[in-house]
Amino acid sequence: MSERIGVLICECGPNIKDAIDINKIVNFVESLENVVMVKPFGLLCSDKGKELIRKDIKKYNLTRVVIAGCSPKEHETTFKKVLEDAGLNPFLMQIANIREQCAWVIKDKTSATQKAKVMIAAAVKRVVSQEPLRIKEIKCHPDVLVVGAGVAGISASLTLAHKKRKIYLVERLPCIGGKVALYEEVFSNLECASCMLDPILDEVLHHDHIELLSLSEIQEVLGFYGNFIVRVKKKARFVDIKSCIGCGACFEVCPVKVKNEYNEGLDERKAIYIPYPGALPNVAVIDKEHCLHLQGKVCNACQKACPFGSVNYEETDQVQELKVGAIVLATGFDIFDPRKSKQYGYGKIGNVYTSLEFERLLNSTGPTGGKILLKNGQPPKKIALVHCVGSRTRKYNEYCSGICCIYLLKFAHLIRQKLPDVSIVEFYSDFCLPGKEAQKFFNKFAEEKGIKFLRMKNPDSINIREEKGKILTRYTDVNGKSKNITSDMVVLASAIEEARNAQDVAKVFDISQGRDGFFIEEHTKLAPVSTTTKGIFIAGCAQGPKDIQGSVAQGQAAAGMILSQLIPGEKLTLEPMTAVVNEDLCSGCKICIGLCPYKAITYDDKEKHAIINEVLCTGCGICASACPSGVIKAKHFTDKQIYAEIEGVVNE
Amino acid sequence: MSDFEPKIIGFLCNWCSYEGADSAGRAGKVYPANLKVIRVMCSGRIDPQFVIKAFREGADGVMILGCHPGECHYKEGNYQALRKYILLKKMLTQFGIEEERIRLHWVSASECDQFVKVVSEMVKDMRQLGPLMKVNVGRFMKVARVRR
Amino acid sequence: MAKPKIALYWCSSCGGCEESVVDMAEDIIKIKESADIVFWPGAIDTKYKDVKEMKDGEIAVCLINGSIRMDEQQYMARLLRKKSQIVIAQGSCAHIGGIYGLANFYTKEECLNRAYKEVPSVRNPEGILPQVKSKDDERELELSGFHDLVKPLDQVIEVDYYIPGCPPNPKYIVEAIMCILQNKSIPKGSVFADRKALCATCSRSDTKPEKAVLKEIKRVHEWIWDPEKCFLAQNMICLGPATRGGCEERCIKANMPCRGCYGPTENVVDQGGKFLSALASIIDSKDEDELKKIADSILDMGGIFYRYSLPSSLLRKRIK
Repeated sequence: MSERIGVLICECGPNIKDAIDINKIVNFVESLENVVMVKPFGLLCSDKGKELIRKDIKKYNLTRVVIAGCSPKEHETTFKKVLEDAGLNPFLMQIANIREQCAWVIKDKTSATQKAKVMIAAAVKRVVSQEPLRIKEIKCHPDVLVVGAGVAGISASLTLAHKKRKIYLVERLPCIGGKVALYEEVFSNLECASCMLDPILDEVLHHDHIELLSLSEIQEVLGFYGNFIVRVKKKARFVDIKSCIGCGACFEVCPVKVKNEYNEGLDERKAIYIPYPGALPNVAVIDKEHCLHLQGKVCNACQKACPFGSVNYEETDQVQELKVGAIVLATGFDIFDPRKSKQYGYGKIGNVYTSLEFERLLNSTGPTGGKILLKNGQPPKKIALVHCVGSRTRKYNEYCSGICCIYLLKFAHLIRQKLPDVSIVEFYSDFCLPGKEAQKFFNKFAEEKGIKFLRMKNPDSINIREEKGKILTRYTDVNGKSKNITSDMVVLASAIEEARNAQDVAKVFDISQGRDGFFIEEHTKLAPVSTTTKGIFIAGCAQGPKDIQGSVAQGQAAAGMILSQLIPGEKLTLEPMTAVVNEDLCSGCKICIGLCPYKAITYDDKEKHAIINEVLCTGCGICASACPSGVIKAKHFTDKQIYAEIEGVVNE
Repeated sequence: MSDFEPKIIGFLCNWCSYEGADSAGRAGKVYPANLKVIRVMCSGRIDPQFVIKAFREGADGVMILGCHPGECHYKEGNYQALRKYILLKKMLTQFGIEEERIRLHWVSASECDQFVKVVSEMVKDMRQLGPLMKVNVGRFMKVARVRR
Repeated sequence: MAKPKIALYWCSSCGGCEESVVDMAEDIIKIKESADIVFWPGAIDTKYKDVKEMKDGEIAVCLINGSIRMDEQQYMARLLRKKSQIVIAQGSCAHIGGIYGLANFYTKEECLNRAYKEVPSVRNPEGILPQVKSKDDERELELSGFHDLVKPLDQVIEVDYYIPGCPPNPKYIVEAIMCILQNKSIPKGSVFADRKALCATCSRSDTKPEKAVLKEIKRVHEWIWDPEKCFLAQNMICLGPATRGGCEERCIKANMPCRGCYGPTENVVDQGGKFLSALASIIDSKDEDELKKIADSILDMGGIFYRYSLPSSLLRKRIK
């Protein structure tokens, strides 16, 4: 049975009518095979135009429609709806672009008319091989997994939980709040970080819809968007989270002392501990590696001391399976280790600190109770602040970490507050001060006494040594001259880098890391929080260096995307133009398996053929092109359809 | 042949190069009418059979336009196109199809000038190079039957 | 009742298809019991005259192997088509053009010059080329005309079925003939082989790579490879993924990669182009220069990818 093709030619007002001889086109199209109706019309996208198409489909019993007019990128959706309304499958239409790529770019009317004829003939040929496609839907889980309880993860969780979604908030550490909870004051209003966080941390801990799984890590992720199955390993805390009130009786009696990682190793903690005063949840945790009892030795000190009987040495790790519809990865960052380079003297010279260490020195809950002190217990007289340590250099990280210039100004301000007579020298190579507040803050400092800004030629041109008990910083200035500055203390603004476990996280969740180590967003501008793995979102510094405001914004953005796409009760509509494997003909050569950017193709070991998951498939067609047997069909862009289009376009 | 007008077929990807071609239209640019565009979702969809078919049907030149490396809407489809292109253009020389007749360029959605440039250059070069086939042999060949 | 008649003919052929008929071994007796072989220049003394005198459709099934390049072959193919109910294209040459098909990369003149003048083992100081009509002292001599192009059988006559392979697997020859003699209904155009590509039955399929692995191409004379691992996983070109199965992997079992003699699978028109696509897709490189190096290392892509199928490909020949 032959098709009945209706061709509608849009004059687009004068846009197409003046550039192309419409009558010649109509005559030509009438002669094409399978065409039963040809009509020009002033403006097809208008209500009248759409009504005309609807009517003509029914009147002429059309089985296919070709619309010659503006670019499909302009009105394909519009006309697809018209077909649907007329009872014709929207994929039985082809648009010939005779405006943007014809009438508007060819001045000679004859040439333009000729090209339009060819484009329409190709569309007519192609549309014959087009097939109706069904838009499929699947059920989905509205629950969400958020990995990482830093500001980004918490923002995402709260936004989602407000809309009554069940959130599983998985955090690797025993406490929540991430890095921000360790800071003293935050730029620019110099608000106390813990005061700022406490209300939202509290909300998270007490929210009906948020289930916090601390001391937990994700082991395995199966399934796909809308239907993820996640395996979580909850490590044993050995302290009952319900009964412990954080009184501290246990760690007073613990005989073991360990370097305190929450104070960047600057002081010690016990084997049973609360990470830092004010850490939430305010519950102790036992460090299995260092606890005498858990290492098989005899010691019950904490259990005996606990007034509530909360210590339980028998607790075991648990594995839990969660079913969620979407995942937000907010796994944060770690800083560049300056030990990698001898030029900074870090690790050798006692009073050279990283920014995180300095934050802990400033913090009242830190190792020095908030006092800025040298290793000998005395306050420093001169502090050097070094920018771009591990950032903006081809040696380590080429990117700018974006927050260091700003927080070093904050450091300068806080140093001034605590030690008004200290002189400060800042070694910078360029000043990065975007946003509403940073420049103003800087301007204030530029005028102050006792603070000098010294410009380095580039981040690599700095060298820190110890000489006669003082720290000597040698740098090359912008004129190429080498200069030396002495100071008591040096603070290094270490680059923001990917979290130390980023590679493991990327592997478990099957998302990509960029060459810089951060997780890659789906599109730098238009999709900054989604990834090419549908259903998995990224937020915060896991995606790239950014400030707190940026992290919170991304957490909320990821939540927003999930709220708009994954709706309880509603089904997920799938991309209809997916690729499909003809399982009867697939030889199991496996050439397609590794090609899919969305990991939509898997190999069925039993049946020995490839399978394409149509939930994950985005219809790019790479597999169809590569398949050496030609058994993968890229729907709506099949070989047959493209051959027909080629024939139409070349044979005039 | 001073009045020879080459037939150029362009396979353009939906997200970058097709949009780039449209933007050339919106910006009122002018370029030769010899180019006829076939839209695909991704340059990685392009099967060497399409290129060969285009030549067989009578094209004098074939262009593949895709997104810049690192910007592919589908992550790395453009690299797939690149790999096939480099092998294909070498193999086609054995068929007497000069390497310049098949070209791959990266054109982003906003690069209307780049689009016009690569198209105009191709048309100019094909005019000089001459037609690929004296007679459109494709018309007279029996279509190779797809066998059961 | 007279037994149905079978004919076999060879065009541009190496004789391998004749051998595969002989390789049917005892099954040949089965066929002889059901039918009479009335024409088979390769084996029995029958003449063109015998065929000319037959009635149209008198031959039940005719197997023609070899590609068509000479007037005589075209003439006989057409004649046998008239006199036969069913014509089967036997072997790669008749199916898709065969190795002879690679001559389509050259013009007729280049071929004749090469064979008769340039080849080092020929002494032809006068540069004599074969002529269709010539004279010697006493007689007028005639040679069959030499065509410009090599063609598979179905570009010259209508073909009912195909038995692919170089040489074909004897079991399919038996199957084809017996099916027809037993009047089984088979769709026209059917190919007597597997529908899936070679990888489906290959013993090395467990070691097939699941992602891009090729960093260079290794050729068979360059090294000694693992006799149990997939060739593509070892950076060697094997056309298995792009070739119909059914040959029982005789080459693979002899530790050599597949050369594609069974032709493309049913959805593919151009075996060489499709294989190029698959090979390019698993090259592990994004760098243009690296890719060019790999491309340059494959010295005769056309010859390797279209080894048997050039005349039935989309372009069929060198265009310019």
